[in-house]
Amino acid sequence: MNHFPSQWGKPRQENVDEYNTVPLYNNMPQSHAAAGPMTRTQQPVVTGTSVIALKYKDGIMMAADNLASYGSLARFRDIERLHPVGEHTIIGASGDISDYQYIQHMLQNVMIDQHCEDDGHTLGTPHIYEYLFRVMYNRRSKFNPLWNALVVGGVHKGERFLGYVDLKGTTYQNSTIATGFGGHLAQPILRKAVEGREDTLTEEEAIKIIDDCMRVLFYRDARSINKLQRAKITAEGFEITEPYSVETEWSFAESIRGYGA
Amino acid sequence: MNFLDSPLSKPAPYVVAPIEHRFDPYEDNGGTSVAIAGEDFCVVASDTRQSNGYMINSRYAPKAYKMSSTAVLSCNGFHADGVTLKKVLEQRMKMYKYSHDKDMSVTALAQMLSNTLYQRRFFPYYAFCLLGGVDADGKGAVYCYDSVGSFERENYRTSGSASALIQPFLDNQVGRKNQQNASTAPLTLEAVLRITKDAFTSATERDIHTGDNLQIFVITRDGVEEQNFPLKKD
Amino acid sequence: MSIMEYNGGSVVAMVGKGCVAIASDKRLGQQFMTVSTNFQKIFPASEKTYIGLPGLATDVLTLSERFRFNINMYKMEEERDIEPKTVAHMISSTLYQRRFGPYFVEPVVAGLSKDNTPFICAMDLIGCINFAKDFVVSGTASQNLYGMCESLWEPDLEPEDLFETISQALLNAQDRDALSGWGAVVHIITPDKVITRSLKSRQD
Repeated sequence: MNHFPSQWGKPRQENVDEYNTVPLYNNMPQSHAAAGPMTRTQQPVVTGTSVIALKYKDGIMMAADNLASYGSLARFRDIERLHPVGEHTIIGASGDISDYQYIQHMLQNVMIDQHCEDDGHTLGTPHIYEYLFRVMYNRRSKFNPLWNALVVGGVHKGERFLGYVDLKGTTYQNSTIATGFGGHLAQPILRKAVEGREDTLTEEEAIKIIDDCMRVLFYRDARSINKLQRAKITAEGFEITEPYSVETEWSFAESIRGYGA
Repeated sequence: MNFLDSPLSKPAPYVVAPIEHRFDPYEDNGGTSVAIAGEDFCVVASDTRQSNGYMINSRYAPKAYKMSSTAVLSCNGFHADGVTLKKVLEQRMKMYKYSHDKDMSVTALAQMLSNTLYQRRFFPYYAFCLLGGVDADGKGAVYCYDSVGSFERENYRTSGSASALIQPFLDNQVGRKNQQNASTAPLTLEAVLRITKDAFTSATERDIHTGDNLQIFVITRDGVEEQNFPLKKD
Repeated sequence: MSIMEYNGGSVVAMVGKGCVAIASDKRLGQQFMTVSTNFQKIFPASEKTYIGLPGLATDVLTLSERFRFNINMYKMEEERDIEPKTVAHMISSTLYQRRFGPYFVEPVVAGLSKDNTPFICAMDLIGCINFAKDFVVSGTASQNLYGMCESLWEPDLEPEDLFETISQALLNAQDRDALSGWGAVVHIITPDKVITRSLKSRQD
């Protein structure tokens, strides 16, 4: 393994540089310059696609598939993008996976620090949401954003909470949320099914709505796979399913020739 | 093999210049606000739609905030900057309270908001603020700002995505501009509320970023009252 | 610099009960410098039809002459007055002929048809027509006019009420637009006569 990123992807040229003196990292003085230029996430690299979530009678339901793409390459197919924080909160992440893992790390530290306070308080969903909002906003203000759109769902003091935070610090709360491509494809379905019925939707109905949305996303979002997880958060706590697939129907494809009709 | 002959030494016949991406830290979340000062009251109204381009983020994401018992602030533009600005102001208001042992007047808050905005002169808060309240004399006050802190006290003002639609209407109905022999009697609270609701129902028809709900704050020397009024959701 | 906003100016038209109204400001500018305060933007097409042409002044002059020519030819060939709807389509196709090198005007047509039904419409610079039943706006104060018209206009206004409505809409809209103003002209078209009035307004 070559540990010098500036050499990655470049061919070795022993015919010109017999002793491997180029690049010059080993000739340079040990200063800041030797560490190379400061790097920032100017674009996401390994990415997760949509996260969708809704409010229903008993709490929050959320879903995301298990894919982490590298551009158009389906690179990692067993990434978990629904992450529990504490007992009653789940974070769903789309966007850059490494930034997301860094966020997981930060949240873990915060939760441990809070635990060590030992004052009987734990961070609830709105607190975690506010924390993420500040982190994301401050990073964007340093022009060094964490390239994610996050969905925060949970139940806090008997209240359902569902919020959105993204790389610019934009936040909002809603009874349905869909990130990325889901904003175009799933959000209209979610709103039609959920708006005004947040207090009556049963768990079974919520599962059906979520699965219907994930199916539509799998059909039309080229960066998705049919392997997903679903989480529910109720007053009792959270439950995240094992990866599963939704039923798909491709027989119509038999009759399609070319591009049309 | 001579290096100069190797294909590696020559650049490819076509050069694909890398596409430069620059992170844009701002967003326009739309929305409109109106503030009208009366004789002894002030009305601040904001729609509650939050949007991004053609997408509606939320139908209820308030952008008007009660700052004290005599002041309400509304921030149009980039929602995250608006929220942050509100937080900064709240902190500084607390500091004022601790050091002076009294609540800030709207007049003082107005100047502080200007200073706070100007502190970020070279990386501005993308927030176009209206500050409404009643001043120390119990008179209605409206202050309006640009994003870097220049401000003015006025009797009525609208800002945000439908401001061009509403401002001439306020000139006409509140300022009674272009009306001959119009009464100069100060407007009642009922009249102000009617004008505000009319302004928003009209703006909602033609501005896609305005709609869903109208949050109205009525500020008197007795405190702040909030009402809600439905707007079209299309 | 936007060519559409180089000279400034606005036009609005409204439907009333058995009548229509069309009004414009009088300013001609070069960017923010006012050059003339009596620049015509509304042109008669027939006894009961008017064309409003806000936009680039040179194109306003060219098109007003072209339309006058076309309408005169129509009158001679057909031996009758042109209908407002026909005027609209004549303008629209004239503009679309220049699809990829357009005239920089956004015309408004207002008139009464031969059975005295009110007709108004507006177009973009390449001739896409918007047939409206209530009001149409155009020019540099169009946003302001939308706000005014949307809140002041109501159905079935009598000619004098329509005059008051369109005048208030235009005056208040142009007072908030730096590129429109310096007086206004209003035409109220009724079945038996056209009332034309010049409005005094803020001179800034």
